[in-house]
Order: sequence, then C-alpha cells, then structure tokens
Amino acid sequence: MESYLAEVAGRLIGPARARRDILAELAAGIADAADAHAAAGMDPVQAAHAAVAEFGGPDQVAGGFRAELAAAQARRTALTVLTSGPLIGALWVGAALAAGIDARPIPPWHWAGLPAGARPAVHLAMIALAIAIAGTLFTLATTGRLARWLPARPLATAAIAVGGTAPIDITLVTLFAAQMAGAPGRLAVLPAAAATASLGRLAFTARTARDRLIARGGGAPARQ
Amino acid sequence: MSAQALKGHLDGMLLAALDDGPRHGYAVMEALRVGSGGRFDLPTGTIYPALRRLERAGFVHATWSEEGGRRRRVYELTPSGRRMLDAERHAWREFSAAVTALLGPHQRPVTP
Repeated sequence: MESYLAEVAGRLIGPARARRDILAELAAGIADAADAHAAAGMDPVQAAHAAVAEFGGPDQVAGGFRAELAAAQARRTALTVLTSGPLIGALWVGAALAAGIDARPIPPWHWAGLPAGARPAVHLAMIALAIAIAGTLFTLATTGRLARWLPARPLATAAIAVGGTAPIDITLVTLFAAQMAGAPGRLAVLPAAAATASLGRLAFTARTARDRLIARGGGAPARQ
Repeated sequence: MSAQALKGHLDGMLLAALDDGPRHGYAVMEALRVGSGGRFDLPTGTIYPALRRLERAGFVHATWSEEGGRRRRVYELTPSGRRMLDAERHAWREFSAAVTALLGPHQRPVTP
C-alpha cells in the first residue's frame, strides 16, 4: 500500500499542501477498502492487494487529479500576484512621492525626469500590467465557483497573470538602476525596498515559468 | 458498466449518494456500488478527483474528521449542491422518459 501511494505521489504535480491533502485522503480510502475486504474474509495481505487493485493504476488515479491540482496551482499563483501587486505598487508610489514627484503637477506618465527612450517601455509595461490584472481576475474566477460556467485553462491564464507583471518590474528596476548609476550614493530606503520587491516578483515569475515548462515537458515531478 | 458510460451522470450520482447525509470518499463509492446492485464498479481512485471537482464548484463541502484513529475527508451537500441534484434528477426523468418512449416495449404503429 505504501509503495502504491508513493507511485501516485510521484505522479502528482502541484502545490505541496494540495498533494499532501490528496495523499492523506487516498491513504484513508485504501485503508477503508482493505478493511472492507478483510471483513469479507480475506487475510490482511490479500485485503491490501485487493484494495490497491480496486483503486486503479497510479497513472489513472494521479491523472484524475491533474485538473484539480492545476487549478490549485493556478489559483495560488494568481493570489500571489493579487496580494503582492498593491504592495509593490505602493512601494513605488511611495518612492516616487519621496523623490518629490508630487511637487510637480505632471501626470506620472509624463514624468519630466523620465528619459525619452523609457516612455514607450513604460507605456507597454502599463498595457502588460492591465493584461496581468485581467489574467489574475479571470484565473481566480475560473478556479473558484465560476468554474462551472467558464472555460478554464488555469495554468495558461495564471501564466498571463504573472508574466504580465514582468515588463513593469523590469522597466522600474532598470530606471532605478539608471538613476543609481547617474547619482550614486543617494540610496533611499523606499526606492531600494520597491526595487527589491520588484526583483522578488521577477524571481517568482521566472520560477513559475520554469515550473510550467517542466510540467509541460513530459510531466516530470517539478518539486517533490 | 464502464466509466465511459457513466460519464456525464457521475456528478449527479455522487450528489445523490450524499443526499442521505455526509459521507467520506470510500462510503460514497460503496453507496454507488451497493445502490446500483454492483453494476457500477468504477476504479475507486476515480471517485476522489470527482468529489474534489464538486467541492471546488461549491456543490459539496468537505471537512476532515477523525474516527477510529483514521482521518477521513467527509463530504456534505451544500444548498447549491442540493439544487444541482434536483436539477439533475429532473433532467434525468425527462431524458429517461423520452428514451423509454422510443426504446420501450411498445409496438410502433405500423405505417401502411
């Protein structure tokens, strides 16, 4: 029974907690099945074999959970984007305010201090961010109760959600680095914190992309 | 009866198995097996993903409960699950009445 569960475990891809939860439920179910066979007169070893046979092959059982685990994974990614987004945004706004940008009545997309070449990048990053927000909300909708009515490609929409945040992070961190290079020695706390937070989100984006590539490339276990 | 033949009706039957009260996964399977006179004999492992899908859709609610030293996930119908079950029953009655009318023992009027 243990080796059967280990085989199923090796085929499950998704958040660790969800996988543990599934395995605990399956273990109890197989124990129940074995009890039922033992009560019908089998010896314990036979009963355990019958229970495992009754559950179906590890591929079939793990495959049945694939959609649920994908939804759990996508939901977790979207929630991370949703909760970290306002925080990272607030840090950058705080950094901009601390730099005295509000002293000049200029809309932020026409920052006087922005290098001319950076403007298209900022505009594109804003569009990507809007797409990311849409992807986040759609992922949360399709992995929750609205799943009944909406067609779901949870991992794809979650990839859009997290990938859409990359351009703004790259743009802001690049601007920050350029600023630092131009005026070294004036590193304030807020811009540094904002840049660190953006780098953290970029790392999360890269990890999500890597996991997705691994998951697509033949279903090798991404994280044990 | 194969899993393929049950496709499309499995959700309704799982909800029906919870109509009498909360059950854990293996008890749901037993209810299907016994209730169908042994005709529905799916691999037990396929019941669990289906229950999780129903849980995510909000039709059932699951809680862990411990009994006799074994922790089991116990499923219970939610109000929306109960409405879904009613809808499935209604749809099945309509469908089976239509199929019975067409495939049933009645002689079709012979056209001259």
